[in-house]
Amino acid sequence: MSWTLPKLIPRSAPIILIVLTLAAATGFAAVGHLVARYNANQQSRGRRLYAQGLAAANAGRYDEAIAAFRAALTCDPANSQYQLSLARALRDSNDPRRLEEAESYLLALWQRAPQDAAVNLALARVAAHRGAIEDAIRYYHNAMYGVWNSDPDANRTKARIELIQFLLKKAALANAESELMALITALPPDPVAHLQAAQLFVQAQDYTGALKQYREVLHYDPSNAEALAGAGEAAYLAGDYATAQRYLQAALNQNPQDANAHQLLATADLIARNNPFRSHISDVERNRRITAAFAQAGKRLTECAQQTGIDLNAASTPTATNSVSPLAALQARWTATKPDLDRLRSPAETDLPDTIMDVVFQIEQQTAFACGRPQGLDLAFLLISQKREAAIQ
Amino acid sequence: MSELAAASSGEASPSSVVRLRTTRRLFSSLDGVFNEEVFFLILCVFIGIFSGLAVVCFRLAIDWTHLALLGPLPQTHSWRLFAVPSLVGLVVAVLVLHVFPGIRGSGVNQTKAALYIFNGYIPFRTAIGKFICAALAIGSGQSLGPEDPSLQIGASIASALGRQLEISREKLRLMAPVGAAAGLAAAFNAPISAVLFVIEEVIGRWSAGILGSVVLSAVSSVVIVRWFLGSEPLFRIPVTTFKRPTELIAYAVLGIAGGLASVAFAKSIGYLRPRLKQLPRWTQYLQPAFAGLLIGLIAFLGAPQIMGAGYDSMDQAMHGQYAWKMLAILAVLKILATTVSFVSGTPGGMFAPTLFVGAMLGGAVGDVERMFFPHLTGSTGTYVLVGMGVLFAGFLRAPMTSVFMVLEVSGNYEIILPVIVANTFSYLVSRGLQSIPIFDLLTRQDGLILPSLEEDREEAILRVEDAMLPVPKTILNATDYVDANARRIQDSTDSAFLVRMHPSGWSAITRDQLQRLFQEGKGELTLASVLPAPSVPSLYPDLPLDAALRYVNTYALVPVVNRANSLQLEGVISRESVFQKYGAPSTHQ
Repeated sequence: MSWTLPKLIPRSAPIILIVLTLAAATGFAAVGHLVARYNANQQSRGRRLYAQGLAAANAGRYDEAIAAFRAALTCDPANSQYQLSLARALRDSNDPRRLEEAESYLLALWQRAPQDAAVNLALARVAAHRGAIEDAIRYYHNAMYGVWNSDPDANRTKARIELIQFLLKKAALANAESELMALITALPPDPVAHLQAAQLFVQAQDYTGALKQYREVLHYDPSNAEALAGAGEAAYLAGDYATAQRYLQAALNQNPQDANAHQLLATADLIARNNPFRSHISDVERNRRITAAFAQAGKRLTECAQQTGIDLNAASTPTATNSVSPLAALQARWTATKPDLDRLRSPAETDLPDTIMDVVFQIEQQTAFACGRPQGLDLAFLLISQKREAAIQ
Repeated sequence: MSELAAASSGEASPSSVVRLRTTRRLFSSLDGVFNEEVFFLILCVFIGIFSGLAVVCFRLAIDWTHLALLGPLPQTHSWRLFAVPSLVGLVVAVLVLHVFPGIRGSGVNQTKAALYIFNGYIPFRTAIGKFICAALAIGSGQSLGPEDPSLQIGASIASALGRQLEISREKLRLMAPVGAAAGLAAAFNAPISAVLFVIEEVIGRWSAGILGSVVLSAVSSVVIVRWFLGSEPLFRIPVTTFKRPTELIAYAVLGIAGGLASVAFAKSIGYLRPRLKQLPRWTQYLQPAFAGLLIGLIAFLGAPQIMGAGYDSMDQAMHGQYAWKMLAILAVLKILATTVSFVSGTPGGMFAPTLFVGAMLGGAVGDVERMFFPHLTGSTGTYVLVGMGVLFAGFLRAPMTSVFMVLEVSGNYEIILPVIVANTFSYLVSRGLQSIPIFDLLTRQDGLILPSLEEDREEAILRVEDAMLPVPKTILNATDYVDANARRIQDSTDSAFLVRMHPSGWSAITRDQLQRLFQEGKGELTLASVLPAPSVPSLYPDLPLDAALRYVNTYALVPVVNRANSLQLEGVISRESVFQKYGAPSTHQ
């Protein structure tokens, strides 16, 4: 069997070229029609597969979702939505090997539309998964300043909050704090938003900032128990025990079951009643508080020594290596300072309260280090010492 | 057209007849504008367009077949996985044996044979058969690729067009590689690699004459494919890095591994193919079905990635989707699957499977290397890309194409050093262990011996300098008298002498001719006045010795001069010295 094409084309060069051009144009139109129909079919199939993928992803069946999205992409390879969804599924599947592929899809999308906020957010999340702080910050910022298809303000705030949470998780407190500053300028007049911001400030250890946000919440909703308790805790952590007492008391009035508020309030009360440096107290009361603090410190030292098995008399009998336990040294100092208590009433001894309280603070700090965080009065003195140190610095 | 008909039937109006005559005059004047060279170049563009359109349809046909037969979602443990390729294998076998003989295999060799043996003739039936059977085979999951069939479809279209237009035999011969480049470029969406591959594997020698036409057709076909199917690359290329030169050692190891894998791949095809062809004819109906069954079973048991061309799996490997063990298993299984598919006579290409094996092997080797040397900075994607080139260099033995293919696919110049190093090692290992490249092996098994670039590289060329004699002691001057020259040659034993012409140029004269002139009483005449008018052409030392053959029968001595100074004589060539060189073993290195 031999197949030969019939001779169709005349031999004049211009006519040949016209015939070839017509044939090419006809072929072009025919193939164009074929491709259009094929693409329409493929797109329809792609949409079905995409819907399957979305359903699987929403149900947390990421392997199934990835397979469906991949198949959808074979039907419509240039579809950005499919690529984005596949990238998200790859990222959310918690398989580190898939992150690279997710990033590759997203980078391709990013190159096509670098202003697309959704793509930047997805890239930021991939970078966050990888723990790449700089990349994450860059893509989160791109997302914040990018183009959102709907509700841009809310989405930008959400993106910034997500970035702050990521930075806090990575202990990048300075970065987190600067993002928090930017966040509060764009917060809507909404107590929920301010409450969330306040909690982020607490996590960033900016207690003054947190207190400010809790106060904003209370501005809109003065009886918000969570805000009252939060404000009390923030004030307590910031060392403003008087303010803490006020908020914690109000919080307990709203929610008497709040154990944390109870505990914090008890400590704040102890501080208020026993702080010898508190203003507007008489000399007699100050001396009483110093004497009581000194006695409490001695007691704490003895208890801690017993707990750790340290001989407090070792200061007078150094060991062969000539090293003395810090607790024993403090015991020696405490013993040496004790006679000074009698001179407290002398108006000439202006530095003596500080000297005695210095011994108390050192004992509280050292025992907290050696025997763990104290409770009750010892905790109160420890907090007073920390506040004074912060004030001096 | 209606006016033409009216004119021929004698019913035309006077004005229409005038217009018709004007058109004819215009056409006949345009005929002169299109000389053969210009016309051929324009034709190459059309070949690219037609090949591009055909390849677009071919790719749609493969996708459609795949979707119709295997479904859009890959499902392991489905009966379709082994039923479909087996049954389609039977259909393909019947078509190949009864309707489209001569479409077995990849098509690269057939195209090359068309160029060197059949004066560029490839039956158009080949294009149709290749289109249908390869689409069925690849779409049903046979482990073959669409690139080589696209190459043959392009070549077949070009050949048919050339025959239709009754172009000269010389040009018709060139049509096959021109169409082949168009088909391959369209299939792989990579014009540079296609041009280089056609030069390395189809034409088999570097020829500046055809380069322009091949490039034109390749570019125009790629434009067509991108127009219809978009310019999305075959793979999403991950970030590829190469930081420390010491890491080249790791890529060299990959090259060695790739070379060994290439040899295993080539040897298994080379061993099985003739044996399966020797089996009784009835078994040839079953061979593609058996191949399909085996591939289907592998897919059914958990490795569906090996079915078809496998570009999606390569893409996933590039993005670190598989652990090294899986990558290694896929590489081995793909070699097995492609070998059985190919030796069974199923039409389809080895281009994509080669890339697949290389990709998986590259990823596996890279991952293992990074396990032992965690400081290596190359990502899995980088090793996968380099691995593709490695197998291409080792298995297909197209070293230039392999380098440019990786660069063109990745669009990343940064990995050129790893690619070159790895490909060189792979090529050397493969050449050392398997002297005959796979395409040459296949043509030899079919009883043909075709030229190849590697053969050219192996063969030392004889040059003029190899046969050149030293500058003769006696050189005559054309401005001297015949009797003076006759006296000068009395002391010489040479039988022929060079004559320096004035102001430049050379001629030659034999002792007998000079003595005859003297005896005829022309001693008082200058030698220039009695010598024949055309001077002896000069040769250069670096020219191939073949160039001297044109002159040594006409002239007793041919001068060899310096390229920088044509008056400076380097030596002479005589008939005896040339033939002596051809008769003796070459000492030229």
